[in-house]
Amino acid sequence: MSSGRASSSSRTAARKEKADPMPASGHYLVAVSRSLDPHALTGVQGIRDSAVRVVECEGLQAVVCDVDLDEFGEEPLRRNLENLSWVEEMARAHHAAVCAVDAVATTVPMRFATIYESEDRVAEQLRVLRDPLTEALDRVDGAAEWSVKAYAAPVAAEAEDRPRAETGAAYLARRREAVEARRRRESDDEQVLSDLHHELATRAVASRRLMPQDPRLSGRQEPMRMNAAYLVTHDAAQSFSDYATKALADRTELRVEVDGPWPPYSFASLEPS
Amino acid sequence: MTLESTTRASAQISLVDLLDRLLGTGVVLVGDVVISLAGIDLVRVQLEALITSVRSELDQGEDAGTDEA
Amino acid sequence: MRPEPSRLTQRLESDPDSIQRDLMKLVLTLVELIRQLMEAQALRRVEQGDLSPGQVEDLGSALMRLEEAMSELRERFDLSPEDLNLDLGPLGTLVRREP
Repeated sequence: MSSGRASSSSRTAARKEKADPMPASGHYLVAVSRSLDPHALTGVQGIRDSAVRVVECEGLQAVVCDVDLDEFGEEPLRRNLENLSWVEEMARAHHAAVCAVDAVATTVPMRFATIYESEDRVAEQLRVLRDPLTEALDRVDGAAEWSVKAYAAPVAAEAEDRPRAETGAAYLARRREAVEARRRRESDDEQVLSDLHHELATRAVASRRLMPQDPRLSGRQEPMRMNAAYLVTHDAAQSFSDYATKALADRTELRVEVDGPWPPYSFASLEPS
Repeated sequence: MTLESTTRASAQISLVDLLDRLLGTGVVLVGDVVISLAGIDLVRVQLEALITSVRSELDQGEDAGTDEA
Repeated sequence: MRPEPSRLTQRLESDPDSIQRDLMKLVLTLVELIRQLMEAQALRRVEQGDLSPGQVEDLGSALMRLEEAMSELRERFDLSPEDLNLDLGPLGTLVRREP
C-alpha cells in the first residue's frame, strides 16, 4: 500500500519504487483527461487511499494511482472479483476518484481494473490511443451521463378466490390465455419503450441500450424492461430529465426512473463507432 | 479523504448501476447455494448445471413426436 | 484485461429449527421450476394440435392438481411465490411470478 503527495514527476515515482521493492505495484488507470491541472487533484485519493497522480503525454493526462499486485494482479484479481463486497469497495473508490477528476476537467472514465506495469506503458497508451481518446474527450465535453430505466409495475396476482377450473382442458385454456396476455403486454411495453428511447435519443448527444440488470444485484423484483444511458449536455440536462420522468406518467403498467448526472462511463468507448 | 466533489456529475449512483458501467453491462451473479448447518458448510448445490440439463432434456422432448408419457 | 462477471454464492445458514423450512424452500423452488417448464411444454404440445382431446384433458387435470399440490406445500411451509423465485442469470427468470 502506498501513499504520497500527488506528483506528476515520473522520476519521483521511480525513486519511490526503488526504495520500496516489495510488494510489486501496478499503475491503476482511473481516467484520461485534457487540460487537467495536476495540482487540482491534490488530496484526491484513488484505490486504498493511494494518492492519484498524473502521467502526461501528447497533451493528454492519465490519472493513475498505485495498487498492490497482490490484490490487482491477474490471478488475485480473478479471485477478488468473486467477492462482491471487495468489488463494491473498490468500485466505490474508483467512482469517487473519477468524480473528483470529472469535477475539474473533461474526463473519459476508465473501466474497472485497467492496470499498467509502468508509467512508460501508461504514456505509451496515451500515445498509441491519442486519436480515439481525443475523439472520446470531444464527445463527452460539456455533457454527462443520464440513466433511464423502466420497470413493469407489479401485476396483481391472479385472484385467489377464482373458482377452480372445471376441466383439465379448461385449466390449460386459462393458462394459455394468461401466457398470451403476458406476451401481449410485453410486446406493447416494448413498442412504447422503443418509442421513448428514440425520442430521448434525439434529445441527447449519444445513447446506448444496456442489458437489463440482475434482480439480485438491483434488489428489484419487477422485471426491468429498459436500461438505457444517454449522453446529455449540461444545458439540456434539466429538460431531458423532466421529459423522461413525465413521458410515460399515464401508463400505470410501466414505471420510469431517471438517474444522473454521472461521469460518462457508457460513452467512454475507444472502439471506432 | 477524497475532495468533496462539486462536479455536476456527482449524483448518487447505485452499486448495480456502477457495476454495469465499471465491469460491463449484463453483470451476472452466478448462483450456487451453499447449505451450512451449525456454522459448518456442508453442501454446495450448483443450480445452473442442474437447470441446464433439465432444459436440454425438455428441448429434446419437443422433437420426439407423440410419446406415451 | 476484461473482468469476468461476479459470482455470488448464497449461503443458506441453517440451524436444527429452521433446516426443514430452508431445505423445503430449496426443494420447492426446483419443483416449481420444473412444474412451470412442464406447463410451458404442455401448452406447446396442445398448440401443435397433435394430442387427442382425452390426452389434453389428462394433461390439464394433472397439471391443475400439481399446481394445487404446490400451493398447498407452499402454504404449509409459509412460503410465498416470491420466496421460490430463482434468477438464473443467462438462463433467464425461468420461474415467473403468476401473471
